[in-house]
Amino acid sequence: MIIEALLAIPMIAAILVYLIKHRRAIELISTMGMAMVLAACAYLAWHVFSRGPVTGSFWYLDGLGAYVLLIIAFIGTAATIYSIGYLGREYEHHEIDLGRIRYYYLFFHVFIFTMLLVCVSSNLGIMWIAIEATTLASAFLVGFYNKDTSVEAAWKYIIICSVGITLALLGTILIYASSVNSLGESPDALSWPTLTEHAKNLDPTLLRIAFILVIIGYGTKVGFAPMHTWLPDAHSEAPTPISGLLSGVLLNVAMYGILRYHIILTDAIGPGYSGSLLILFGLLSLAAAAVFILLQKDYKRLLAYSSIEHMGIIAIGFGIGGPFGIFGALLHILNHAITKSLMFFGAGNILLKFKTKSINDVKGIATLMPLTAAFFMGGGLAITGSPPFGIFISELLILIAGFAEGNYPISIIYLLFLVIIFAGFMYHISRMAFGEPPADATKEEPNYIGLSVMAVLLMVALALGLYIPHMLSGILANIVKIFGGS
Amino acid sequence: MIELGNNIINGLAVVIFLTTFIIVAHTRLYPWVSTYAIQSLALGLLATAVAYFTDSFHIYIVAALAIIIKSVIIPRFLRYTMDRIRVDKEVEMLVNVPASLLISGGLAILSYYITEPIIVQGNVITKNCLAISIAVVLIGFFIMITRRKAITQIMGLMVMENGLFLAAIATSYGMPLIVEIGIFFDILVGVLIMGVFAFQINRTFETVDTGILRRLRD
Repeated sequence: MIIEALLAIPMIAAILVYLIKHRRAIELISTMGMAMVLAACAYLAWHVFSRGPVTGSFWYLDGLGAYVLLIIAFIGTAATIYSIGYLGREYEHHEIDLGRIRYYYLFFHVFIFTMLLVCVSSNLGIMWIAIEATTLASAFLVGFYNKDTSVEAAWKYIIICSVGITLALLGTILIYASSVNSLGESPDALSWPTLTEHAKNLDPTLLRIAFILVIIGYGTKVGFAPMHTWLPDAHSEAPTPISGLLSGVLLNVAMYGILRYHIILTDAIGPGYSGSLLILFGLLSLAAAAVFILLQKDYKRLLAYSSIEHMGIIAIGFGIGGPFGIFGALLHILNHAITKSLMFFGAGNILLKFKTKSINDVKGIATLMPLTAAFFMGGGLAITGSPPFGIFISELLILIAGFAEGNYPISIIYLLFLVIIFAGFMYHISRMAFGEPPADATKEEPNYIGLSVMAVLLMVALALGLYIPHMLSGILANIVKIFGGS
Repeated sequence: MIELGNNIINGLAVVIFLTTFIIVAHTRLYPWVSTYAIQSLALGLLATAVAYFTDSFHIYIVAALAIIIKSVIIPRFLRYTMDRIRVDKEVEMLVNVPASLLISGGLAILSYYITEPIIVQGNVITKNCLAISIAVVLIGFFIMITRRKAITQIMGLMVMENGLFLAAIATSYGMPLIVEIGIFFDILVGVLIMGVFAFQINRTFETVDTGILRRLRD
């Protein structure tokens, strides 16, 4: 019942924001809607972690689903509050009109709805439909500004992701075929709780082929190299709050899709096969990200490549496995979501002020916008894995897991790429923060509402680096069990 | 009875296979859409035949949806989009027709090769369709890569989707009904959205040639 209510909230909010023609009312409804989603997700998570999975005819929510659900709701709430300041500024400068604002919030809530649906559905087919729907809903947000570059980005996004996801559907069909062969034709034949339970009876050959198709298909949406080409375009052209949402949340939702199959394969034939594929794509993504971060000229694309890097790290964590690896990867999902949305929000303030995405043209934000600069630099330290921020802890845990499981070459390559990316990333953002500001620029913070959101996110990122609350580690240990780990 | 069923199903699968090659060979856009409509019709009839010979009601619904959405609504919408953006009627190719056909033939052989272990252990009357369905998916992908117009990329994706639909029928008589309906919904919405973007590409660049989309790069 509560799941149906959770799914209904963003849809009702979407309809309301589109019907109402008053900017303040739209912003209020949007924020209230996301706050209610957050409350519902918190309740569901409490239920899952204290009493066990929530089930329904089409739904099944376990610890992993509830965890991703909470991240969607938290970052979604942050993004909607940030959007008030961001779009408000563009509205006041007559860059967009009220019609565009309604359109934006409409697709924002539909996008949230589709992501929530991915996490609560028990049926792999419905999960596929929901993941495809996330692409369709967010394509309009990527193409929001209707410029030549944003139309291009939206077109690449929808075409590349649709093709990718078509392969994932083929994988889903093969899983269904192997399940029908062994379990008989039943409505449960595609539900992942049933598949996980009967994993040993499934045909291993079909499972292996299916997993390759799924990891390439959903991996396109996660942003694994070499299927990542849509990602920097979409992230740099979308309105900045949406970039934060795409990066911090959508990529994790697609990763969640892969993890469901990874868990089925782990139960059927052990973690080795799907784990090594995850490590392979993880390393490829790290390598691609390292090269493009060093050469980057556009700061939103810089952040996009950093997302590819972090998705690679998460994949390596799950691929290496073991209690440390999975715990670290789960923690990294949360840390990355918080830190990356913080970084994009900072980039949004810079974009509002400077009207350019080129790193060379942005100088002296420390003088012009001291608060944004402080949060942005703090986020930059956090995202590259410096102590005392959360990402340092989770990256370290994954490194420890690599050594503990005896994967020395992988761990060393991983560490090497992290060092390269740290150097490249810090070089670029310190050039933006310091230096002589343009002569005609005035000292002004464009988005105060956004700054308050960023302050909260930075505090959380810092807190997670200083200590992991007992409740969080309990939750994560609970989820690690789902992976069949000890 | 089963023999007849097999013949009908295999015959329709051959129609789907051949129409894919005809699509590869087309150099004009409008006949291309008609061929796609015929292919989708054959697909719907194949699903109807499967429904009849396996006596399962839900496949009839899927077949009806396939015919309505894939062979009526989507071709109509594509023609409407093409009329509206006054696209010129040539298909622009990066690989010419003879080479494309040769590559498609190669892809078909490849798909027979990769599906062999799956076909051997299957026990459904449609198992022979699996190789064809994979071939259609691969050729659709090839079309997407080598044809430059926005409309032709949408068409390539639709051919891939047809191949997948056939694969679902071939391996397990289609997915559960709710999933099939959801997939149709996604495809339909996807085509509508892509049509809107094709229109926007046309408006901002005054061409639907996606080769122009080269502004964003590193």
